[in-house]
Amino acid sequence: MQSMTSVPLSWYLILSAILFALGVAGFVIRRNLITVFMSIELMLNAVNLSFITFSYQLKQVDGHIFSFFVMVVAAAEAAVGLAIILAIFRNRSSLQIDDISSMKY
Amino acid sequence: MSYILSVVLFTPLLGLLVLLFLPSSRPRLIKLWANTAAFAGFLVCLPLAAGFDPGKDFQFVEKVPWIPSLGASYHLGVDGLSLLLVLLTGLLGFLAILSSWSSITVRLKEYYAYFLLLQAGMMGVFLARDLLLFFVFWELVLVPMYFIIAIWGGPRRMYAAIKFMIYTLLGSVLMLLGILTLYFQHYEQFGVYTFDVAELMKTSLSGTVQWWIFWAFFLGFAVKVPMFPLHTWLPDAHTEAPTAGSVILAGVLLKMGTYGFLRFSLPLLPETARDPQIVQIMGILSIIAIVYGALVSLMQKDWKKLVAYSSVSHLGFCTLGMFALNPAGVAGSILQQINHGISTSMLFLVVGAAYERRHTREIAEYGGLFKVMPVFAIIFLITALSSMGMPPLNGFVGEITILQGAYQMSFNWAFWCVVGIALGAAYLLWLYQRTMLGEVSPKNAKLPDLSVREIAVFAPLLACVFWIGLYPRPFFNILERPVAQIVERVRPGYYAEHGLPNPLTASEQVSQINPR
Amino acid sequence: MSASFLPTGVEYIRLLPEIILAIFGTVVMMASPLRPKESRNFLYTLTLIGLVAALWASIAAYASPGTAFQGMVIIDGFGTFFRVLVIGVGILTILISHQYLTRERAEPGEYYSLLLLSVLGQCVMVTANELIMLFIGLEVSSIASYVMAGYLRHDRRNNESALKYFLLGSFATAFLLYGVAWIYGITGTTNLAEVRAALLTPGLAPTGMLASAAAALMFIGFAFKVSAAPFHVWAPDVYQGAPAPVAAFLSAGPKAAAFAILLRVYMTAFEPLADRWEPILWLSALLTMVIGNFAALTQTNIKRLLAYSSVAHAGYVMVAVTTNTEMGTAAAMFYLASYAFMNIGAFAVVAHISRQGEKYVQIQDLAGLGVRQPLTAALLSVFMLSLIGVPLTAGFFGKFYIFKAALDANLVWLTVLGLLNSAVAAYYYLRVIVVMYMQEPVESTNSLPPLPTGLKATLWGAAAGTFLLGIFPSLVLDFAGRSAALVK
Repeated sequence: MQSMTSVPLSWYLILSAILFALGVAGFVIRRNLITVFMSIELMLNAVNLSFITFSYQLKQVDGHIFSFFVMVVAAAEAAVGLAIILAIFRNRSSLQIDDISSMKY
Repeated sequence: MSYILSVVLFTPLLGLLVLLFLPSSRPRLIKLWANTAAFAGFLVCLPLAAGFDPGKDFQFVEKVPWIPSLGASYHLGVDGLSLLLVLLTGLLGFLAILSSWSSITVRLKEYYAYFLLLQAGMMGVFLARDLLLFFVFWELVLVPMYFIIAIWGGPRRMYAAIKFMIYTLLGSVLMLLGILTLYFQHYEQFGVYTFDVAELMKTSLSGTVQWWIFWAFFLGFAVKVPMFPLHTWLPDAHTEAPTAGSVILAGVLLKMGTYGFLRFSLPLLPETARDPQIVQIMGILSIIAIVYGALVSLMQKDWKKLVAYSSVSHLGFCTLGMFALNPAGVAGSILQQINHGISTSMLFLVVGAAYERRHTREIAEYGGLFKVMPVFAIIFLITALSSMGMPPLNGFVGEITILQGAYQMSFNWAFWCVVGIALGAAYLLWLYQRTMLGEVSPKNAKLPDLSVREIAVFAPLLACVFWIGLYPRPFFNILERPVAQIVERVRPGYYAEHGLPNPLTASEQVSQINPR
Repeated sequence: MSASFLPTGVEYIRLLPEIILAIFGTVVMMASPLRPKESRNFLYTLTLIGLVAALWASIAAYASPGTAFQGMVIIDGFGTFFRVLVIGVGILTILISHQYLTRERAEPGEYYSLLLLSVLGQCVMVTANELIMLFIGLEVSSIASYVMAGYLRHDRRNNESALKYFLLGSFATAFLLYGVAWIYGITGTTNLAEVRAALLTPGLAPTGMLASAAAALMFIGFAFKVSAAPFHVWAPDVYQGAPAPVAAFLSAGPKAAAFAILLRVYMTAFEPLADRWEPILWLSALLTMVIGNFAALTQTNIKRLLAYSSVAHAGYVMVAVTTNTEMGTAAAMFYLASYAFMNIGAFAVVAHISRQGEKYVQIQDLAGLGVRQPLTAALLSVFMLSLIGVPLTAGFFGKFYIFKAALDANLVWLTVLGLLNSAVAAYYYLRVIVVMYMQEPVESTNSLPPLPTGLKATLWGAAAGTFLLGIFPSLVLDFAGRSAALVK
């Protein structure tokens, strides 16, 4: 199935790594809760990409199945996370992380 | 298999259990019960003395597996050394509780509960023949002592209690390291995991490993003794503790440290123990303790602190005798430990009696009490003479034996011993003069003399003072074998070299002639 | 591969605890809006029945050890030990939570359901033989915990606690997952034993580095879950902000389960890479102990103090993990069991003292408790002494076994520093005892209501467990030792 113009697999892995790194960067740098949360989702999806790539490389179906599981879990996390964020917003009317941190060292 | 040792160990705990169920609203009942339990604890020790055979090693042995996967067993036994300490603990435990009758008025149940727990813990330390069991009891003793100081102590009790706890904990934690190293070395050589002391004695350790283990043990035991420079917890703890607490602390707890050296450091690590460098260091530390302790005592204005520092000085004698590594030194050291237990306890009881009346520990506040409280003054005089080593009292026997041992080791050591004895006389006599002789101030004029109960507390101790001083032979008899064991272990062939009859082989010959 | 995807009869028995927990979790959740208004105890009893049934089932399942789901789940001594532990933790938490929820006027139904599901997730985690199964169990447990941490949604501290836990938890999970992906890529499998076999095959040299990188990524995830340094920063805030029973639960159950998977993965799957990850674990263990202990010294809030103490204790268990030996694993298992008793007991007392809205959570608010409620104070003292490691309590043998294992594995420095740490730690535990006994009662202790029954039962149970493990540790240790042999 390799044609002359197909994308080498390592590129997918590199893309996955870049996306993951972007997710980490976003988590660490951004101040808005929703954006931070989106970064986490980005990380999880980057991992999904990795799974699928490896699965294709190994000619197995396991990786695809794993990414299904990951998606399900990510969805559950999203539901819970947004509920928590909503509860916070109701209490504080702000979604900036700095305003929310009250418990200090 | 006789169970007497378990009875000795568990009697205080049984007393504790019953105590917990007594109503707090009846203080007299609580006090009566506590004293009964402690007295019972002492009585059960007496059959040990009666049934003890000085010609045999460990007696009344009980051994039950406890944690087989570790090789730890519930193994108890007494030899001459532990017997004397067990008797001392039983007696002092009872007397300490008796002496608290009128001085402790709040939270009685907890107070006596802690004392009974302490009693069990101390007994366990001296009876254990399994290193893990020993360590458990060693650590266990810390908790009730901490509470006793922290709740019923003097003005700076919190600081003193925490210092005591952290110091001792740090020391014992490092001691644990030593124990575990020994444990693993034994496994490497014999393929068996065991904490049993008799088994561990068979391990042959390389010089370096022994050295490290010795220092690990040293840290644990030296904090307890206490040896210079790890002694700084002692003045605070002794001064701030309630009278009975100080009695137990000085009378028994400090002996746990020296016991540790005699029972574990010397026999398990003989090559390091006789290493000239180590002996020198121990000697120097002991001498510093003797002289420094005495000098600081001389300068004290607080009566109790003076007695506390005198403990440092006295135990310096004991450690010096121990590391002389000859029969006289070791036997003298052990006897002096018992003597110190008796005389320093009496000194603390004396301070306690004075404090109960005047609520001050300042020496300057007292004076001329001889006329006001004659019985008290006589008892104090006997105590002071005992502590400074005046014949025909007990202190003399111990000190002269140690002196003999020290002289055989080194002239220097004997010299400083004598200096220490002289300084001891100095600070004790000066103390006596300042508090008992001289002008009576109006504050002290109406003080009541010792009550019957207080005299009863001193009586057994006074009896011991005279007994050991006038007729120490039974004590030396009991100690002959254990001392020989230790000396032969550290310096094999010592007895043969010096042309002395070896108690170990002598009794074997006897038993060959006279098989029972 | 066999076409049958249904579990066989035996496998049902092995999975029975999870099945029970799943059923009860769902039933409680659905029954929650339907329960009669007057009976507050209905759901509580139902949950307890479910947990006790699951506990019984775990012990019964041990009679037929083996794998299930085609080798994805393994029921062995190790798994059973932890299953019993986490279910036990669940039971103790429920006993504390009942009165707490009534006091805070919170809906109990969803709480119980979440707890059941979290315990379910932990059971799946500890019996997982396969990285994806592990991940699923981990996530089920964690997500349920995120919600539990923020359960009282009108309370700001709860909100913040849930948020921090959620964000940092998901962050760490993502790293874990990335590591799993790479392991899958390198070895072509996610089954733990097969991964180990794959890593052992020669010719894997160029990918050996990648495998180590993957293991490191996974370590980030694991370290977070067990609150090991440097990924421990969530613990103080989350424990402080979450409701006290939830903090109790988090410190004992998920932590134990996380250590279980850490042990399984690193000792089974990554065993060939041992010399690469041991230094990292060594460093992490040291940092965790030191940071946890020293930070706790300055705390004035009792929940935060217990949180840092929890971090320090995680450090001790990390020492056991670093040894990479059977003895170390057994020691870690014993410690986690004894730690559950001590810590839940301590948090239970805090839950009682703090009163409604958790007003009184400063250490000073415990002043004079020895006078006002001597029993409560005595029990808390027992837990504090056990945390210090005083003999006759479980804490002593826990530390003893761990440091013995560490010394046996030649981790001398770690042992010395660990022992010194535990001596220093005595200071802040003693401070709690001092405040209780040596100070006059204050407003918070004077107005303290008596202990409710559920709480009393929990405290007595925890204290009994502490003493039992302290005097007869071989009961648990022998079982742990046998199970640990299987993990290698």
